[in-house]
Amino acid sequence: MDFNVIISYLPRYRDALLLTLRVGWQGVFLALAVGILCAVVIDLKIPVLRRIVGFYIELFRNTPLLVQLFFLYFALPKIGLLISPVVCGTLGLGLLGGAYMAETFRSGLENIPPIQKESAESLGMTRMQVFAYVVLPQAVRSSVPGMMANVIFLLKETSVFSTISLMDLMFTAKDLIGMYAKTIECLTMLVVFYLVMLLPVSILGSILERRLRFAEFGD
Amino acid sequence: MKHTLKKVGALLLGLTLAAFTLVGCGSNGDKTVYRTVDEIKDKGTINIGVFSDKSPFGYVDENGQYQGYDVYFGNRIGADLGVKINYVSTEAANRIEYLQTGKVDIILANFTVTEKRAEEVDFTLPYMNVALGVVSPDSRVITSLDEIGPDDQVIVISGTTAETYLEETHPEIKLQKYDAYAEAKTAFENGNGCAWANDNTEVIAFAIENPGFTVGIPSLGSADTIAAAVTKGNATLLDWLNNEIVELGKENFFHADSEATLLDTYGKDYEDTLVVEGGVVAAK
Repeated sequence: MDFNVIISYLPRYRDALLLTLRVGWQGVFLALAVGILCAVVIDLKIPVLRRIVGFYIELFRNTPLLVQLFFLYFALPKIGLLISPVVCGTLGLGLLGGAYMAETFRSGLENIPPIQKESAESLGMTRMQVFAYVVLPQAVRSSVPGMMANVIFLLKETSVFSTISLMDLMFTAKDLIGMYAKTIECLTMLVVFYLVMLLPVSILGSILERRLRFAEFGD
Repeated sequence: MKHTLKKVGALLLGLTLAAFTLVGCGSNGDKTVYRTVDEIKDKGTINIGVFSDKSPFGYVDENGQYQGYDVYFGNRIGADLGVKINYVSTEAANRIEYLQTGKVDIILANFTVTEKRAEEVDFTLPYMNVALGVVSPDSRVITSLDEIGPDDQVIVISGTTAETYLEETHPEIKLQKYDAYAEAKTAFENGNGCAWANDNTEVIAFAIENPGFTVGIPSLGSADTIAAAVTKGNATLLDWLNNEIVELGKENFFHADSEATLLDTYGKDYEDTLVVEGGVVAAK
């Protein structure tokens, strides 16, 4: 291993890390928004919309991100919709993540025994109040582990971004190897940078899980 | 919290160990990854890395067969060695890697000879000429690199000489990089990027096949050559190939190759510009 090489490559990896984080987190937030929206639609059993959401979830959960990105980036321009690589990456990640998040939140919402809702309603709470004060806090709590797993999964999925010309960590490593063939240095840096990005998320996740134990039924 | 710290500690320990193992691997490089000519003949198959998406040099035809200028040469190598050929599809950025890990014995993938690459692999005598070229849409033909503005992006393929050339001589030009030919092509056709820089053979072929595009810069950078490459240090295979290229020159093999594979794309006019016969580059 040549440490001079590693030092000279650091700026490129830093840029790649920043890009991966930027697109990754934008995607994660979009995924959270889409996921919550879809889970609520399913939980409230809104007609028609519920079917559409169900179709969306199955479509995106059963196709790889690579295929979705190809479709967004290479097929849509054929019908006149040219989107930039960053937007495409965010959108792809957000839509894929949205489907996974929706399932996680849905199972969180379903976890709450109906008797709790009935009891709350019998105490005179409105449907919105029941949702906000009884259902949501518990659902969020039980969804956290799944949600954090999804976040890490999404951040790792950024590694297929090379196909839409985004210089993420994976592509930067491949690109440098292609140009200068310093394989061991490039790949070691790749592993280290992914860990630098994901370890804090992982640790934050386990802290969050413990902190949120407050709303457990039967505590 | 204590538990988390323990986990992090274990991970760091693991990483350090892994790093040491890697360093170890790097230093004891005496285990050869390549196969000599005799070993290849013994096994009865040779692995040749070619492009699968770069018509007319290396591509897979509608019947699933490898075709093209590089493949035509590859077939002959297999025949003269008396072994079966296993073509391995490669991308530009993998070519050095595939040789260094012994995944293939020879790379015949439009591999431009450069000094940097020659530090990593051994090149044979050349069999084709090449320079860089830039193609752009008819709506805004780029005839000089100065016309590329700060907001424009030039498409390049990762691991090609065009990428290295632009990075090193024009760091101000923004590059949009793709890791495969097919993707770069589609992206460029779709209207991404103001121009596409690549081997001039490739951009000329692209402009001929796709109306609406013009090669505004037909020759850029230095005049280079394309050669086969073997793993660094594989002297027997290198010598065999060099000898083969010289011998094939006597029968004008590469002209025949060009007529069989390149004629449809470039016409007869380009033949002498492109072909290098017997490993001897004609004086300009």
